[in-house]
Amino acid sequence: MPKPKRRRTRRPAGSPRTWTEAHVRRVFWRAGFGATAKEARTWSRRGKAATLDWLVADRPALYRGPAGTADGLALDPLNEFGHDKLWWLDRMVRTSHPLQEKMTLFWHDHFATRSQPTPLMLAQNETQRRLALGAFPSLLRAMAIDAALARFLSLTKSVKAAPNENFARELMELFTLGTGYTEVDVREASRALTGLRQARANGQTTGIVYDPTKHDDGVKTIFGATGSWGGEDVLRFCVQHPAHGPFLTAKLWDFFVGTPLNPVVRDKLVGTYVSSGLQLRPLVRAILARPELYANLTRPDMVKWPAVFIAGQLRTMGASVEVPDWVPLMASMGQTLFSPPSVAGWEWGPLWLSSNAMRARFKAASVLTGDGGPASVASSDVRPRMRPDQHMALALAAVGQPEITNPTHRALRRLIASYGSSPRSRERAQELQRSLRHLLISGPDNQLC
Amino acid sequence: MPRPKPHSACEDFHRTAATARHPSVGVTRRHFLGWGMGAGLALYTARALPLEHWMDGAQEAAAQNPQARILVSVFLPGGLDLLDSCLDTSQYGVYAGVRGSAARPETSDVLAGTSISTHPSLAAGQDGGLRALFDAGRIGLLPGIDYSNPDLSHFHSRRFWETGTITAAETTGWLGRWLDTNATPDNPFQGLSAGSRLSPTLLTSRSPVCSVESTRRSKLGIPGVSEPGLDRAMRAYGDLAAARRTDGTGRAAARASARYAQTVADRLEPLDDSGPPAPTPGDPTDVASVQAPISGYPPGSPFGERLRQLGFLLAQPLGTRIATVDCNADFDTHSDQPERLTRALSDVSGSLAAFQADLEARGLGERVLTFVWTEFGRRPKANRSAGTDHGAGGIGWVMGVRAAPGLRTEYPSLSDLDGHGNLRVTVDFRAIYASLIEQWLGTSAEGIIPDSRSFARIRLVT
Repeated sequence: MPKPKRRRTRRPAGSPRTWTEAHVRRVFWRAGFGATAKEARTWSRRGKAATLDWLVADRPALYRGPAGTADGLALDPLNEFGHDKLWWLDRMVRTSHPLQEKMTLFWHDHFATRSQPTPLMLAQNETQRRLALGAFPSLLRAMAIDAALARFLSLTKSVKAAPNENFARELMELFTLGTGYTEVDVREASRALTGLRQARANGQTTGIVYDPTKHDDGVKTIFGATGSWGGEDVLRFCVQHPAHGPFLTAKLWDFFVGTPLNPVVRDKLVGTYVSSGLQLRPLVRAILARPELYANLTRPDMVKWPAVFIAGQLRTMGASVEVPDWVPLMASMGQTLFSPPSVAGWEWGPLWLSSNAMRARFKAASVLTGDGGPASVASSDVRPRMRPDQHMALALAAVGQPEITNPTHRALRRLIASYGSSPRSRERAQELQRSLRHLLISGPDNQLC
Repeated sequence: MPRPKPHSACEDFHRTAATARHPSVGVTRRHFLGWGMGAGLALYTARALPLEHWMDGAQEAAAQNPQARILVSVFLPGGLDLLDSCLDTSQYGVYAGVRGSAARPETSDVLAGTSISTHPSLAAGQDGGLRALFDAGRIGLLPGIDYSNPDLSHFHSRRFWETGTITAAETTGWLGRWLDTNATPDNPFQGLSAGSRLSPTLLTSRSPVCSVESTRRSKLGIPGVSEPGLDRAMRAYGDLAAARRTDGTGRAAARASARYAQTVADRLEPLDDSGPPAPTPGDPTDVASVQAPISGYPPGSPFGERLRQLGFLLAQPLGTRIATVDCNADFDTHSDQPERLTRALSDVSGSLAAFQADLEARGLGERVLTFVWTEFGRRPKANRSAGTDHGAGGIGWVMGVRAAPGLRTEYPSLSDLDGHGNLRVTVDFRAIYASLIEQWLGTSAEGIIPDSRSFARIRLVT
């Protein structure tokens, strides 16, 4: 068996190159939905600072390439079942601002909302996208008066005579603090947050309005401060609370880096966040610049979220959303967009990978490599008597040049070898090529970034 | 039974609120825990075991102990209200006062030998639903179940119930720990979640476990690749999935789940869940008696369908010891509780009653005990949205031919609430866990439930 070829990105030890294609791929996967071969080349030449500046830049997102479809039909997220999810996947696949889209996904998990009318969910999604990298207090305020979230957490039913604690509790536990508050704070804050109700027209919720007659304007004590506090005050107290900076920083770290956060590093990052006036852009840039994000470049260990797995695969292959299969498959993988399992969002990390979820990822590879799929093998793609390295190169190019480990390389070379040193017929070469492409997508390596 | 200390106001909450959910702030998302990733992983290092070995795992386990008992854990997410589900009618006056217009009407229709009246929806379904199972002595009710100084966060409470510990520390699920201690090292079916995700209660440190969303069309195939090419490709997939000593937790999880997915597909492929299978000579899984198609599950209920598939799976010689099912209804009824419970409890009753009938029809009645739980109770006093906020003193029950029937724990008093207006907890859920482990699974609870000795046991099995 010929020796596996050394991968192009690998450099001699002690290389002065500190910003390689592998670095670009790592940060593009973590901050977005993967890098194409061309993006990896381009941004490795431009350097780390330019890459990070481009990723976090405050610029409008453009959606490139042909818009997604489902079985040949234009996506209709408001009216067609499942199209809302496909529509969002399509944003992830085509956006020119991947970090903005990745942060939108982060906020969807953070302000997890479910079981609300689709127009409200899509409006919430647009708000989260618009404010994805701005000032956290602005986003928090927009979420407190977001119709979908306010309905989901019963905020619109919380009135002076009977405050409902649901929103106030999640505001502190899940949205801003995690820790450092008491049951009394929850109850007092729920009083301060009373008075919002739904605006309705033709039986539909159109937004949230403030009704002072339902607001409790009495004196409350929240985090030890006493006054006739209202909703805005509660939100302000929460973001000014000393637990807030460390809480949000640790969660973003978990999202982008995933390894334990050293307290010294954390304090530095919190400093960046707080001194910027709770701006998200500088904090995220500082996290993306940390060396911990680039550890083990050839052996990534972060499990791709199901949405990231699908959107990233399509994006790096230069393909688009074309089939509705992603809706049931993503459900089987454990992530139905616009329907997180609870207000606490999804469980991250290895918990994404139940045996059933891995099965669904295998099936996703079948959709991509099957007839008409973007990674399908046409008879004209292969020739009889192709050499093993040609088979390998063709398969890798067809599925978006994913990073693979040496053991994977060897296992696939063994599969090629099992066909004889060069498959004699075109049919056999085609079959081998199908298997290679499928395994590159469905194999364990490709679930990690 | 021991009576938990009453709440001492908010200091207690400080203690538990300190268990937040992210690294460096307490309870984490368990990035660093998965399954099959602990010390025992050495078993699988360097190379994958041959596939045959995995298949043997399930069959061997089943063959060695064909009558092994099975524990099914059913989770009702969101915090099911005790009072509306199973009301102590002797406290009806206080109940009606605090629930106001959301209160259930008074009734003299109580479970035999008790003053408990079940929600009308709990009589929904096959042959009188859960209500009929109560009357038939197949359900033991656990009112007031929770833990001392309960944390009213869904996230914290759920985590405590899932791990069987009241700490912020990273740990495995309580059922996963039982598997790590008592089950075989090579059969993913031994701990099975019916549904797409793996229940966190089943997180192990080294034992394989699996989730099964569908028992139909289980074969893994590659489009346009037929035998013998498919066999070669699946062997390559097995190579890719072989564990390696240097794997990080994410990579170890990816490889382990790929192995388990392949095993599950291979094992389930010959079992046809769509009806009685065609007999295959020499196939030990072909047991006509366990294939009887079962009706009675509520049509269109995803929960019922999961239970139906689980009934089918438990009847196969797969060596399953622990199974989990999540109900998909949301019991977090902050508003419109009467309507929502009427709907959701009807699904619970119809689905679980059909499951019990199914198990008995398949001859599994003596082997399966079902334990139903929810993460906390709800506050007696209704809010103004015709709903209830998070509270304490919840509800659970054991169901089965061998379940000790009737009221197994003390019903909390509505006239003796804690400092937050919540029901007092009358039994710690860990006492129930320890009792289930000892009385049903027949093993020691030591090392599975921390401080298990400190919990007085409740008789749950006859």
